[in-house]
Amino acid sequence: MISGAWLCLFAPLAGTLLILLAGNRIPRVAAGWISTASVFVAFAGAIWSFFGLRAQSDRSGYLSTAWTWLQSGSFKVGLTVLVDPLSTMMMLVVAGVGGLIVLYSIGYMDGDDEERRYFAYMSLFVFSMLMLVEGGNLLLLLVGWGLVGLSSYLLIGFWHERPSAVAAAKKAFVMNAIGDATMALSFFVIIAHSSSLEFGTSFDLAGSLSPTAINLVALGLLGGAVAKSAQIPLQTWLPDAMEGPTPVSALIHAATMVTAGVYLIARTHTIFEHARTVELAAAGLGALTLVVAGLIALVQTDIKRVIAYSTMSQIGYMFLGVGVGAYANGMFHLMTHAFFKALLFLAAGVLIHALGGEQDIRRMRGIGALMPLTRWAFLAGALALVGIPPFSGFFSKDSIIAAALHDHWYGALLAIAGLVGAFLTGLYTFRLYFLVFPGEPSAFVREHLHLHHGKEGPPTMLLPVGILALLAVFGGFLQFSPVWHPLTNWLDPVARTLTAAEPTNRQEAISSVIAVALGLGGIGLAWALYGRGERAVPHVAALQRILEHKFYFDEAYDALFYKPAAQLATWLRRDFEEPVVLATGTDLGEGALELGEGVRRLQTGLLRTYVLFLGTGLAIVGVIFLAIR
Amino acid sequence: MIVASAGNVLVWIVWVGAGFACLASAAAVVSFSNPFYSALALIGNLGSLAVLYLLLSAEFVAAAQVLVYAGAVMVMFLFVIAYVGPRMETPWAGGPSWQSVGAVLAAASIFLEIIVAVSLKAGGRLAHSDHVNATFGTPGWIGRLFLTDHLLAFEITSIVLLIAAVGGVVLGSHARRAA
Amino acid sequence: MAGPGIAWYLGIAAFLFGTGALGVLVRRNPIIVLLSLEIMLNGGNLALIAFARHAGNGAGQIFALTVMAVAASEVCVGLGLVVAIHRRRLTLDVDELSELRG
Repeated sequence: MISGAWLCLFAPLAGTLLILLAGNRIPRVAAGWISTASVFVAFAGAIWSFFGLRAQSDRSGYLSTAWTWLQSGSFKVGLTVLVDPLSTMMMLVVAGVGGLIVLYSIGYMDGDDEERRYFAYMSLFVFSMLMLVEGGNLLLLLVGWGLVGLSSYLLIGFWHERPSAVAAAKKAFVMNAIGDATMALSFFVIIAHSSSLEFGTSFDLAGSLSPTAINLVALGLLGGAVAKSAQIPLQTWLPDAMEGPTPVSALIHAATMVTAGVYLIARTHTIFEHARTVELAAAGLGALTLVVAGLIALVQTDIKRVIAYSTMSQIGYMFLGVGVGAYANGMFHLMTHAFFKALLFLAAGVLIHALGGEQDIRRMRGIGALMPLTRWAFLAGALALVGIPPFSGFFSKDSIIAAALHDHWYGALLAIAGLVGAFLTGLYTFRLYFLVFPGEPSAFVREHLHLHHGKEGPPTMLLPVGILALLAVFGGFLQFSPVWHPLTNWLDPVARTLTAAEPTNRQEAISSVIAVALGLGGIGLAWALYGRGERAVPHVAALQRILEHKFYFDEAYDALFYKPAAQLATWLRRDFEEPVVLATGTDLGEGALELGEGVRRLQTGLLRTYVLFLGTGLAIVGVIFLAIR
Repeated sequence: MIVASAGNVLVWIVWVGAGFACLASAAAVVSFSNPFYSALALIGNLGSLAVLYLLLSAEFVAAAQVLVYAGAVMVMFLFVIAYVGPRMETPWAGGPSWQSVGAVLAAASIFLEIIVAVSLKAGGRLAHSDHVNATFGTPGWIGRLFLTDHLLAFEITSIVLLIAAVGGVVLGSHARRAA
Repeated sequence: MAGPGIAWYLGIAAFLFGTGALGVLVRRNPIIVLLSLEIMLNGGNLALIAFARHAGNGAGQIFALTVMAVAASEVCVGLGLVVAIHRRRLTLDVDELSELRG
């Protein structure tokens, strides 16, 4: 069990190192297979840990330390892995979905010049994410946190000749760094009080801290979660991150990295429970994000951006779930979302690949006729996303809305937001479906579509899509709370759902019915507006402008943060660095030259001068001797 | 320190005269632009020094001073000056400005330091000179010293003179028939 | 001892030495430099004779005679140099003769 965890953690790292060391000596495709194999070995390790843990009677968590990584006085941090229900669940999701996506990448990235670098980065990412979820103490979690940010930067900016990709990578990294900073601050508070970053001591400490301290710690953690999971107010980087290759968007920005914030809240829930206000604020941010993102998705014309805003919205649901205390439900939605969101991205990737890189949905009309497999897979993912039974999204999403409903008036507000979101989800998802798939193929499609030997794509791409489609359809049967909830039981030792977040059967039923109805309503409206091949974007002028500008978040941040910083930098350069710092360097040089010039004049070349020096020296020595006497 | 009595007065007068002549001629050597006049001033300096030596009971040295220095060395100087021809040169010109200033300062400071050193001792050990007998400074006494206590110096001096003579001849001769 | 004390003679010797040094440092004609050098040597001689008288020790006078002999030799060689330089048609200026080249 423990060995499984170690294997899971280090297999992808070994893959990265192998690809790096082999370099140009291996063919490009080999790098892909090495990476895929390493991630599947990690998956095997995850399964091993899972079954090992399942066989134990006490499932509260097992720590295994390899060596002491850091020691400073009484502060000690070891290289520790944690095997407990939450971490094994994440390991399975990350390694499983990750393995499928890396396999898909072999087909998608075929022919790219820098394939090896891509696969090295992918393995690095999987390693980082596993470190994040398996880390046995807060410091290793932070290490994983930072490394996934790095991998995200490297992969978003993978096609580095594109200025837009480079800018997007920078934006993602900077916004993530804000979250890293707040998390580090909260860790400082913890260390100040307990000199340790172990999970156990930190969580025990939560009860004894003053309200200010615990709120600060929780806020810091929330800041990190918000940045990593692209919730308001730190959400602007996620749409831009679509500059990276599609499998990257699937893996990092849908299935795994952006869900790290949800995992963090679930893991440190003890701290959040002592700072209940912050926890509820998290739920509020999630609710806000899910509505806002849903609205923005209505006007997007790039297929990947629609799915990206959908991701943002669904993570809002997850935040909502863990924010009210329904940790198991939030994690369940994380899992099903990984399945159907990855499916949607990969299916979109098949389309993009077949069309030679085109991503504008207005040109893709009617492609479903020529690519039926992709069409059905996408439909399955879309239905799962909207939450139509019996697809997986239904089981996970509705339980979150029901859980929120249970919690006073605030919870009711959150639940309403969730229901609005369900309507919007149906609307934007099926807007996308109806615009792209049904109908006669457009001229553009007929011209640019090129199939892979008569098939829609190479087997390495179609196989993962198929597997994910099956998971998206049937994965929801894992849990149907409150009737059948093995997942809640599984996570119970580690992340017990708060009683405030346990809905009654009646609440569950009512919310499910309303949510499904709204979802179907959204689908219907989408069919009405877009099913007959009308224009892609609705015509409500003022609203449309606001939505197209994504609620002006980018413009606001530009004015608030970027412009003053740039101004300050210019001022400093002009008025401080050039006159003072650089001039000091120049002045020192010139001063030395002048000194040299002066000394040079002493060298007259005349014998008389040197005799003068002799005489002067004699006089000085005489004075010294007279003085000393 | 100044003890003036009848016999003393004559000594003092001679001393003042000789001393003044010495100082003036030394200044003149350094100041004249015509080397011929400088050489003549040096002859005067040497003469006054000889008088001072007589006052210090060094008769033989005084005589040697006049014979060797003023007689032989200065004649040599005058011959060379005549051979080389008139070369007028202004004393303070040439070289960087700080050379002249530095020179004056260095020379003055050396002079002052010696004065200070001497005057610090003047009240002590320099106050009373030994009483010497009549043979002090006579040629016979000098000769005896040269051949007994300071024989080495005597012999080495003779070698130095020989080398100088050879060197002078070599330098002055038309060694290369060509050119 | 009749007349001024030794200190006064030493004062004169100091002045001679200083003046000679000044001449060496300031004058450019090598012949006059040699003359100034002679003055310095004479200053030293005077000090030696004075101390010989003060201590009643003959070594001072012996030393002075030796100095005189050495001075004569040195002048001889120095003037020989001056003559050689003049024969080569070089300027007799200490500043110009700084490169020691023919």
